[in-house]
Amino acid sequence: MSEEPRIGVYICHCGVNIAGSVNIREVVEYIKNLPNVVEVRDYIFMCSAPGQEIIKEGIKKCNLNRVVVAACSPTMHEHTFRNVLSEADMNPYLLEMVNIREQCSWVHSDNKEAATTKAKLLIRMAVAKASLLEPLKEITFKVNKNVLIIGGGIAGLSAARDLAAKGFKVYLVERKPVIGGNAARLGRLAHTELRGIDVVKELSRQVTSNPNIQIHVDTELVNVDGSVGDFKVKLIKNPRYVNENCNLCGECVKVCPVEVPNEYEFGVSKRKAIYLPYKEAYPPIYTIDSENCTRCFECVKVCPTNAVNLAQRPEEIELRVGAIILAAGHEPYEPLTGEFGYGISSRIVTLFQLERVLDESGPTNGELKVDGVQPKNIVFITCVGSLSTTPNAYPYCSRMCCSSTIKNALIVKEKYPEANMYILHRDIRTYSRGDEQLYLKAGEALIRFARYREAPNVIVNPDGTINVRFFEETIQEEVSLPADLVVLSVGMKPPRDIDRVRTIVKVGCGPEGFLREAHLKLRPVEATTDGVYLAGTVTGPKNIIESIESGSAAASKASALLTKEEVKVEPLIAVVDEERCSGCSICIGICPYNAIRLKTQGNIRVAEVDPALCKGCGACAASCPTGAMQQFGFKDTQLKSQVLAALIE
Amino acid sequence: MDKPKIALYWCASCGGCEEAVVDLAEKILDVVNLVDIVFWPVAMDFKVEDVEKLPDGSITASFINGGIRLSEHEEMVKLLRRKSKLVIAYGACSSWGGIPGLANLYSREEILRYVYHEAPTVENPQKIQPQTETKAEEGVTLELPEFLPRLLPLDLVVDVDYYIPGCPPTPEVTWKAIETLLSGNLPAKGSVLGALDKSLCYDCPLNETKPEKVLIKDIKRPHEVIADPSKCLLTQGLTCLGPVTRGGCGALCIKAAMPCTGCFGPLDEVIDYGGKAISYFASIVDYTDEQEIERALGKILDPMGIFYRYSLPASRLRGKITVAEK
Amino acid sequence: MSQDFKPRIVVFACNWCSYAALDLAGTSRMKYPPNFLVIRVMCSGRVDPQFILEAFRRGADGVLVAGCHPGDCHYIEGNIKALRRMTLLKRVLEEFGIEKERFRLEWISASEAEKFVRVANDMLEKIKPLGPLHIEEVHRHG
Repeated sequence: MSEEPRIGVYICHCGVNIAGSVNIREVVEYIKNLPNVVEVRDYIFMCSAPGQEIIKEGIKKCNLNRVVVAACSPTMHEHTFRNVLSEADMNPYLLEMVNIREQCSWVHSDNKEAATTKAKLLIRMAVAKASLLEPLKEITFKVNKNVLIIGGGIAGLSAARDLAAKGFKVYLVERKPVIGGNAARLGRLAHTELRGIDVVKELSRQVTSNPNIQIHVDTELVNVDGSVGDFKVKLIKNPRYVNENCNLCGECVKVCPVEVPNEYEFGVSKRKAIYLPYKEAYPPIYTIDSENCTRCFECVKVCPTNAVNLAQRPEEIELRVGAIILAAGHEPYEPLTGEFGYGISSRIVTLFQLERVLDESGPTNGELKVDGVQPKNIVFITCVGSLSTTPNAYPYCSRMCCSSTIKNALIVKEKYPEANMYILHRDIRTYSRGDEQLYLKAGEALIRFARYREAPNVIVNPDGTINVRFFEETIQEEVSLPADLVVLSVGMKPPRDIDRVRTIVKVGCGPEGFLREAHLKLRPVEATTDGVYLAGTVTGPKNIIESIESGSAAASKASALLTKEEVKVEPLIAVVDEERCSGCSICIGICPYNAIRLKTQGNIRVAEVDPALCKGCGACAASCPTGAMQQFGFKDTQLKSQVLAALIE
Repeated sequence: MDKPKIALYWCASCGGCEEAVVDLAEKILDVVNLVDIVFWPVAMDFKVEDVEKLPDGSITASFINGGIRLSEHEEMVKLLRRKSKLVIAYGACSSWGGIPGLANLYSREEILRYVYHEAPTVENPQKIQPQTETKAEEGVTLELPEFLPRLLPLDLVVDVDYYIPGCPPTPEVTWKAIETLLSGNLPAKGSVLGALDKSLCYDCPLNETKPEKVLIKDIKRPHEVIADPSKCLLTQGLTCLGPVTRGGCGALCIKAAMPCTGCFGPLDEVIDYGGKAISYFASIVDYTDEQEIERALGKILDPMGIFYRYSLPASRLRGKITVAEK
Repeated sequence: MSQDFKPRIVVFACNWCSYAALDLAGTSRMKYPPNFLVIRVMCSGRVDPQFILEAFRRGADGVLVAGCHPGDCHYIEGNIKALRRMTLLKRVLEEFGIEKERFRLEWISASEAEKFVRVANDMLEKIKPLGPLHIEEVHRHG
């Protein structure tokens, strides 16, 4: 500013909170003599209405152009006092607040002289900075009312349903050829007659019947630009090679020469390269797995409706949305070959494979047979892939496996009462409503529970029989169990390419790879990036109830943003002095938000900050080799003035 | 009309700045036609008394190169300041201390002790060391200037009007500065003449070869890599200080595939060249683990020498602080 | 101004973690020495080594840069940039003759008020025996 700074300093007593340790009188006298200080007032509660009046009066009477408020922490009342300045027709960013309570009087109450001296110094530092403050304009963005949901599992479907019900336009994007995620592949669920696919079908029905929702399957995220209220999203829709003319007749399957394990049945059965992932899949259209397809064209020849088009190309889709919900789900833990004998014998399966087998509409019509025979001795091992049971396992608990294991064991017992079952466990964590009763019911059904600490040893004998050897913790003895079937209760893990997606949307992750929410307790469905929300198992293991709940929660949070017309952002962002900028590009690699671009116009080559993306960390300003990049409110001159004022009398 | 008078003087200098003036080649004849050189110890036979006799302020401009290391330098520059309208710090040494400024990492005692006693090639059984005064056999008192406790840049000893950067300044920069001075259109006092107000990257032919994000994984010393002369040297891991150094030299070193060492000094907004250089360079070393960061930065064996090569005496701390004496 | 108010230590505290920890120390009524003058920045990544050099030049007896733990930075990895710069700066400070006890980079999360108090006391204890920084009087003002 060209005019001389005229600073008003307002010192709060905060009752006795500040005045109890700091000698306000002495401080007032000292501050009066500082350069550029025109008025110094003190009051018992500066944030109160009369306190605020004092400031407004001072601004007008003394023609102030800067204000310093010495009181509590700026995290408490900075915005209060900024509003006071606005109400007095002064730019709210000409305020500097000094913390003489939390960081002075409260921590030096045993040394009043020191507290007073420190208060003087802190206010002196603020006065120095205030002299260099500049008026700043708040940045506002219009909010786009569309929302993108990445992931078509139950959390994504739940969020889509809720947001569409509020009238927002929803784009639901799923990279697989079907929606429903992992839940669709569960068999009969606990405490209900529904299977996983039934829950999915109901959610899908609610979603597909709402015209506000546009579903894109086979679609992956490519890029996200922009920020809260206005994201520009690039997607790619991969070719399915089969269109809506498909009438599910299945003629193509008969002639397809390629057979591979069906991943939707966890390898329990096979599928062809052209396939319908499972009965009741949505959308009900066959799809071709281009990795395994040999392009023999036999399916094209036999299709009665000409639904097969092997020439289909990927399609780019661009969207603009105001919010993004990331509901990318999880993957079941895949045991290593040899881990508990997995992959060594076909008699060792995962819990998901068992679910598929027990499902009446599954690949074996609900019949459990191992090598053509119903297994009599069945051993379940829980915590496979969780709780660091084995070196490859994750350190956390996957929550749902105990309940799931017991539920499945009870289903087996119901179908095959002669089955002899053991559940080898570390703990039993049946925490959800009704699950403890399942545990007790299992005991009554003579399903035996045995506790281990060291991972059990699954020994596959040369003749194909299996023994499970472990040290039982309760009886403190080595036990060896013969097993016709070993079921590994595998946990949940982050999806394998989650890093790619989270990097695009700029969401952090925890040490295990699950995405990080902004705050575990206070903001469990928001990412730290504004406008991005997290739902479902992408942040960590959850059961079906919890996933659906979190989808609704994320929708609720997103709608709070989407109902606004505008988003306001504090203008304490980075700014380039184009005259000084030499176009060296250093800042571009520094910015974690990709907020800086090199602007090339003719001969000009300078950096440019996108105010929509800049979050105001200042890392670029510190890295800028010429000092051309600065941060409003935290400029080099301003910070340096605080250093000098702290040290020089 | 009398031609403007100019003086040239050298302090703790290697002589390169003197040669730089000579490097003006034919243009030096233009210079000589336009001005009257009244003092130039390296090339002309004027004495100090001749300068002392001049009226104060009668020298239009004095070009002083070299850092202030001896009491003689201090006396001479103060004399020239009195006698000159403008004092111009010519070259890196007088502007910021230059390479001799790195001596500020040692005390005067340490320096004299090493040079006259401890250096491996020194034979000095009588332990002779320079003294400011000594009585010769003939009864005459001989004097030597005092070796000052620290090397100072010119502007910490006298008021400096302008700076011409470089080690040495290139002929182009020198000529541009002279043109500016002779034009009468003088920029603000304290400005740097003849060079750009942008960093070297602005002028560097390899700037456009940078990828979108400039990040380094492996720092290389110049002998460790045959630099690809067509790609930005910084991106190849060399400690190129181009981004933090004033441009105007024509990127001569870069064109020889050598990383910039910073001889044109800082830009106006920077208060400590080494601190800023450290800030920008360390920021782009692309590791997030503490140990990996230590290991990668450990490839820089001599951070003082790299980042403060020319600017130590002008830095915020001037040199090793326990060295300073009253 | 009390001359016994020494040593004087300048602290750069990041808004989201360290500054919050300092506030928490206050709300918890913890006690620590009054020698620390805090300059608030949004992120430890804003701290330019030039500020630190300036602080020592003006007679700061110590400088503390406090940021979030790696992985927790509100701005993703501003603290890592601070770590990179300070790693190099530390070596140069040593050559400047500034004892290593005088400069610290610490990770202090919003809940770690106790850690700040510990660091503050420890830093002060180690700096006191070193005496004031041997910077010339003329440099403080020039």
